Amino acid sequence: MRSADRIAGAALLVLAVAFSAGALKNYAYWGENGPGPAFLPFWLGLVMALLATMLLVGALRSRDPGEAWLPRGEGLGRLVLVIGATVAFVALLGVLGMTIATVLFLLFLVRFLDRQPWLLSISVALAVAALNYLVFAYWLRVPLPVGPFGF
Amino acid sequence: MDFLANLSLGFSVALTPFNLLMAVCGVVMGILIGALPGIGPPSGVALLLPLTFGMDPTSGIIMLAALYAGTMYGGTITSVLINTPGESASVVTCIDGYQMALQGRAGAALGIAAIGSFIAGTVGVVLLMLVSPVLARWSLAFGPPETFALLLLGLTTVTLLTGDSPVKGYISMVLGLMLAMVGFDIISGEPRYAFGVPELMDGIDFLPVAIGLFGIGEVLVGAEIAAGAAIIEARYGWRDIMPTAQDWLRSRWAIVRGTVVGFLVGVLPGAGPTVATFMSYAVEKRVSKDPAQFGRGAIEGVAAPESANNAAATAAMVPMLTLGIPGSATTAIMLGGLMMWGLRPGPMLFQKNPEFVWGLIASQYIANVMLLILSTLFIPLFVRALRIPYGILMPLIIVFCVTGAYSLKNNVFDVYQMIAFGVVGYAMKKLGYSPAALVLALVLGPLTERALRQSLIISDSGAAIFFMRPIAAVLMLAAIVAVLVPTLRGVAAFRRRRERPAEGAG
Repeated sequence: MRSADRIAGAALLVLAVAFSAGALKNYAYWGENGPGPAFLPFWLGLVMALLATMLLVGALRSRDPGEAWLPRGEGLGRLVLVIGATVAFVALLGVLGMTIATVLFLLFLVRFLDRQPWLLSISVALAVAALNYLVFAYWLRVPLPVGPFGF
Repeated sequence: MDFLANLSLGFSVALTPFNLLMAVCGVVMGILIGALPGIGPPSGVALLLPLTFGMDPTSGIIMLAALYAGTMYGGTITSVLINTPGESASVVTCIDGYQMALQGRAGAALGIAAIGSFIAGTVGVVLLMLVSPVLARWSLAFGPPETFALLLLGLTTVTLLTGDSPVKGYISMVLGLMLAMVGFDIISGEPRYAFGVPELMDGIDFLPVAIGLFGIGEVLVGAEIAAGAAIIEARYGWRDIMPTAQDWLRSRWAIVRGTVVGFLVGVLPGAGPTVATFMSYAVEKRVSKDPAQFGRGAIEGVAAPESANNAAATAAMVPMLTLGIPGSATTAIMLGGLMMWGLRPGPMLFQKNPEFVWGLIASQYIANVMLLILSTLFIPLFVRALRIPYGILMPLIIVFCVTGAYSLKNNVFDVYQMIAFGVVGYAMKKLGYSPAALVLALVLGPLTERALRQSLIISDSGAAIFFMRPIAAVLMLAAIVAVLVPTLRGVAAFRRRRERPAEGAG
């Protein structure tokens, strides 16, 4: 956690300075009769810079490396897999439509990540996709993305 | 007699069949969401908010408020039976609740929690009903400087929530305010920090952020753990859950104290049910004649915090409705919902939308009765939900997060934004930052900026305006104290940490 705090502190410090400088450069600090669009962002950047410095100094002076915050091995693999599958799911929405993409996403995670039996995996995938369609598309009339078959 | 007329108006709204149905749905989903580990009240409200877009705002808030009350009880089931809190307001309940379950008294623990929740929730609504109109009338006199001072107080107290590192709490909060700056400037109409991306010009919507930080973030924290936890078997017959005469004698004052502590903490902007449970547990331990029993299955250790969290969940509505300042992360999301429905939270709400406010208040009475019935008769049903493997539950939650984020504006940009904040939320949780503070600041950011700039426009003495008006000055001082206390505490802890290795060496 110590190294994560160092990285976060440094990154936030850069962000804070860029945020304040960007505000002053692009927007007016003071308008005709009062503070302009850059006023609050400028001060927020300053406060963040102060906080980031405090975090950074604390982490640099600390001798305790702390616990690792990211999992290793299998845990990290699962984490990356779940995030990757979710991004792929969203990317497929426009191509396959919400219903088919949902079924595939659920089948993948339930069958291949969690190793549930095929029958259970398929039932869960179909039931959730149907429920999702029923609630959002049918009941709430949200125009969910549709695939080549119209659902 | 004024409020009797208002209350009957409220019941006429809350008792319509559709609104009753919404209250039942809210309580049932709340108990489930509270009971399932890895998904808590803020994610529950964020996930269900898209469902309310097509509804009348009154029905929407009735469902969300009932859900909030339900989660407070649902979390108890998990704490008692698995020793894992279903949500953060039930962390304390694990200590004595799980011990009771090990001693074969799981039913009694859940029973006293249900009764305590009912009493605290009902007293909470009565207080909400009496306090809110007074506070709303009083705050009608608030000008921009008072509003700004109050918002500042709300923003600074939220960081009290983040345990050990106040710096990380404030970083989370300021980050939320910075995100709120993105998009059209409210006064000049200029787009800020949009980098020419049209989706950013309208600003960053809090809903994809909230669904990502809480829903996806919590799911990812759970994703690295593969195995499920063992559930303690217990019996839930009428006799098993009804407290014995001795239980009742021991816990009746604990329930009263829990209710009082819970309500007071809940009313404070920023501090919500979770803080209330820790405080009430500490109070019980202090007043107890036999503090050694705590941690070994003392029923007071379940009754007090469980009453406190329900009282606090109700009390958190007071600042949200009357001042437009949420008392907890969950009410921050509700507040965002109110604004989406086109309602302006704050003192005018009581005058302009009485059917909304009083319908909500009346429905809280009904929700508490339903909660008592459901939580005593249907415990086995909710326990069965805990047996759903996390590997099935997790993808299911992700699907609803994706659909919910999409349905806000029917665009995929929001969904990617939601996933990005999911990863951010995961990191924040693991590293000790506060997603709740970020969401609260994102919701309050535009209001804060408007109040600040309007104050400075009407002021002819610069920032001194905040200290020259009595109410604003008191609120500003309170905000300054709220900043100083955790900072000083942090410095003291730092000193102690530095001294300790020296002692060890000697």
